[in-house]
Amino acid sequence: MNALRRHRALEAIWGAPKGWRGTAVSVNHSDIGKRFVVAAFVFFAIGGVLAMMIRAQLATPGSAFVGPDIYNQLFTMHGSIMMFLFAIPMFEGLALYMLPKMLGSRDMAFPRLSAYGWWCYLFGGTILIASMIFGVAPDGGWFMYTPLSSKAFTPGINADVWLLGITFVEISAISAAIEITVSVLKLRAPGMRLDRMPLFAWYLLITALMMIVAFPPLILGSILLEVERAFDWPFFDPSRGGSPLLWQHLFWLFGHPEVYIIFLPAAGVISTVLPVLARTRILGYGWIVAALLALAFLSFGLWVHHMFTTGIPHMALGFFSAASALVALPTAVQVFAWIGTLWNGRPELKLPMLYLLGFFVIFVIGGMTGVMLAMVPFDLQAHDTHFVVAHLHYVLIGGFIFPMLAGAYYWLPHFTGRTRDDLLGKASFWMIFVGFNVTFFMMHLTGLLGMRRRVHTYPEEAGWTLLNLVSSVGSFVMAFGFALFAIDVALHLYYARRRSRNPWTAGTLEWAMPIPTPAYNIASLPTVADREPLADAPALATSLARGEGYLGQPRHGWRETMAVETTSGAIDHVVVLPGNTRLPIVTAVVTGCFFLCLLAGQYWLSLLPVAGVVALGLRWAWVLDWRRDIGPLPIGRGEVAPIHREAAGAPGWWGSAFLLVADGTALASLLFGYAFLWVIAPNWPPPERIDGGLMPGLLAAVAAAAGSLFARRSLAASADGALGPAGRAALAGAAAQLGTIVALGTLGVTALPAPQEHAYAACSWALLAYSLLHALIALLCMGFARARVAAGHVSPRRTLDLRVARLFIDYSGATLAIVLVCLLAPAVAS
Amino acid sequence: MTLLARVSAGLILWAFGFSLLYALQGAGCAYGWQEIQLFGAALLRWFLVVTWLLLVAAGLALLRLTRSASSDFERRVTLATVLAGAGAMLVTGSPVALTSACA
Repeated sequence: MNALRRHRALEAIWGAPKGWRGTAVSVNHSDIGKRFVVAAFVFFAIGGVLAMMIRAQLATPGSAFVGPDIYNQLFTMHGSIMMFLFAIPMFEGLALYMLPKMLGSRDMAFPRLSAYGWWCYLFGGTILIASMIFGVAPDGGWFMYTPLSSKAFTPGINADVWLLGITFVEISAISAAIEITVSVLKLRAPGMRLDRMPLFAWYLLITALMMIVAFPPLILGSILLEVERAFDWPFFDPSRGGSPLLWQHLFWLFGHPEVYIIFLPAAGVISTVLPVLARTRILGYGWIVAALLALAFLSFGLWVHHMFTTGIPHMALGFFSAASALVALPTAVQVFAWIGTLWNGRPELKLPMLYLLGFFVIFVIGGMTGVMLAMVPFDLQAHDTHFVVAHLHYVLIGGFIFPMLAGAYYWLPHFTGRTRDDLLGKASFWMIFVGFNVTFFMMHLTGLLGMRRRVHTYPEEAGWTLLNLVSSVGSFVMAFGFALFAIDVALHLYYARRRSRNPWTAGTLEWAMPIPTPAYNIASLPTVADREPLADAPALATSLARGEGYLGQPRHGWRETMAVETTSGAIDHVVVLPGNTRLPIVTAVVTGCFFLCLLAGQYWLSLLPVAGVVALGLRWAWVLDWRRDIGPLPIGRGEVAPIHREAAGAPGWWGSAFLLVADGTALASLLFGYAFLWVIAPNWPPPERIDGGLMPGLLAAVAAAAGSLFARRSLAASADGALGPAGRAALAGAAAQLGTIVALGTLGVTALPAPQEHAYAACSWALLAYSLLHALIALLCMGFARARVAAGHVSPRRTLDLRVARLFIDYSGATLAIVLVCLLAPAVAS
Repeated sequence: MTLLARVSAGLILWAFGFSLLYALQGAGCAYGWQEIQLFGAALLRWFLVVTWLLLVAAGLALLRLTRSASSDFERRVTLATVLAGAGAMLVTGSPVALTSACA
């Protein structure tokens, strides 16, 4: 097969239909990645317009441009859009588009999940933006502190829009995190050991793992607050044993790592672009990986520095102040590695480099003010002033937007296959750089002069007028700079010269393919022996186009790519990915209906879309049809490998495992909340505790343990080829899970006080609901496993369905044990 | 996955130790352990300082992991992260010896 025929055959397999149908059904990572990037930029523009309105309001004292009610919506939506609808989705889009190409793969591990995440993001973001049009946008600040966001002080649906809309959008973040983690760990080109991966993949792997742990506390907090608002369960009401500080803890457990979740992918862009433009290799690869790991962990020990003024004891302040200062060190390691790389190479002052130099200036200033704010005495003075606003913008715009703009100009030829001269790009850089510093440097000064954030106006005698006016003028200069950037990109799409591949003479694999890239990325997969494969073998691209790598022969219409052993990069198996389907968009629409029902207060009606999501989820898993054993497949170069459904470490198993890690973090956050309220909150001990419940609790535990045993027996029987006993064991497992549900329900109804009475009861019911939900999931898993065995999808070789089901059932059983200990301990103690 | 677990071990221990110290401080203050005096200092202080020192020592003990590393990369990254974890434990835990526990 020649290169052209191979291209046509692969394009037919990996491409999507033209028009709206293709838009609705495509699951290709390049399509989804580009959509994320474009949509994130649109949301960025909306957030930017809101920022200009904020600055127009503050330009003069006593301004009547907007009133306080609208102003509250403006700053809340500006922050929420920039954090949740721009920064995270923008890097998700870049990751989805770029990662497989850099890793020498043809797609991400779960293409349908990418598409589902995209639609959830689009629909959730649309709900949030629509709320502004209808005048019911969130108005309690982007961190939604209680009691301001509680029913008593926000009786309308403004807070509900935030809590439900953001949770809906966060589905896409969790989806992307799992997708990225498994793709980096498993779907790499053969030979690409972990220490041969491009640094960008390391950055994204660590960011994705951080997201898996950081987002569940926010999702849990949002659920608890929404339940409090909807059903009066008093998690945050101090008069009934709750505490507003619990919200702050849950929010900032997510919120501070979030800053690094935003920064790290952008730092990955720097570590990729900077050495290419310095015409050398990155200095200190291993040290950067170590610094990344240190940064990721330390970033979870800083959250209380947002709460320094809440009356926390000195010792706790000391813990978090020390951690906040310490986190500057791994960041500094990276900055010095980048400076060393520049020193080591022969840098060219091309447009992406200009943005990188802008990053250095702005981010270092932001980092220094961060260390200032980490010091408790200074923070007590500057807390909630414009100094903090200036700091966070220096960190986020310096640490995210400047590197991403560098990345945009670096990778634009990859998206478009064209290159343009730099004139307009340089003009936009200087407008953004100067405008940014004029805007935000002034805010350091107004903050130090005592101007509080979120005030809609100020008196003339405060003495902040000139600084605010200059700041507002700067913001408009910056906005025009971004508009110029958008114009430059648009011109790039239509009025630029066509280029062949690799215009920067880079060494990473994304440049080993034609630009713009075909749907399948590369005609055959390379063997990687160096961190920069193209530097090692400049003719690699041609060789891969000729089909001289792995999987160069298209067959059966399969979307094939390679999976490797995690550490060594040795060939593990062939993954056959699912093709285009409507399932993601339909599931996202039904998921959206669930959130809309909740928003409208139609709680019983919301059960209908829940049933729909369950049915679609089962369909999602069912259509992965494989009713016969395939055996080892030829993969090229005279080698063979098993197919993923017949291999031990299939991506589906890993994805489920990481989903359960996120799930476990949500439970840990709930247990933290339960313990926090016991120890810290006022009005404890509760007036009424659990009364009895030992017997149903014991029955629930026994039933869950039986469920786990039956799941194991079903798997073992399948592996032995005894499919009849395997099916019967699965059915028995399902019955055991039903027993667990009944026992847990009995425990709640007979032994627990009403959840509205006290935060203790509310937490107990929340824990019980968690276990009930997981027992239900375990029941569905066992029922699904039974049906799969009966339909011939399972054989001694094909046990993936049962292994995944066992994972969920074991998790359900283990967490049930923890929940029961927490629920029954007060009964035993009394 | 083994490599990822090994290179993260020092930092996982820090995360555990940091959470433990914060939890002990909160629980100790809530249940009055700072009121109980032992050898000239509060029971809570003893508890926290001994826990802190044990955590730092455990962090340093993880240096043994570098001996069995399978590559230079793994050895270097493990060494850096174990030292970072132990150093972070030393610094972020130091308030247990330097500041008031419950005020």
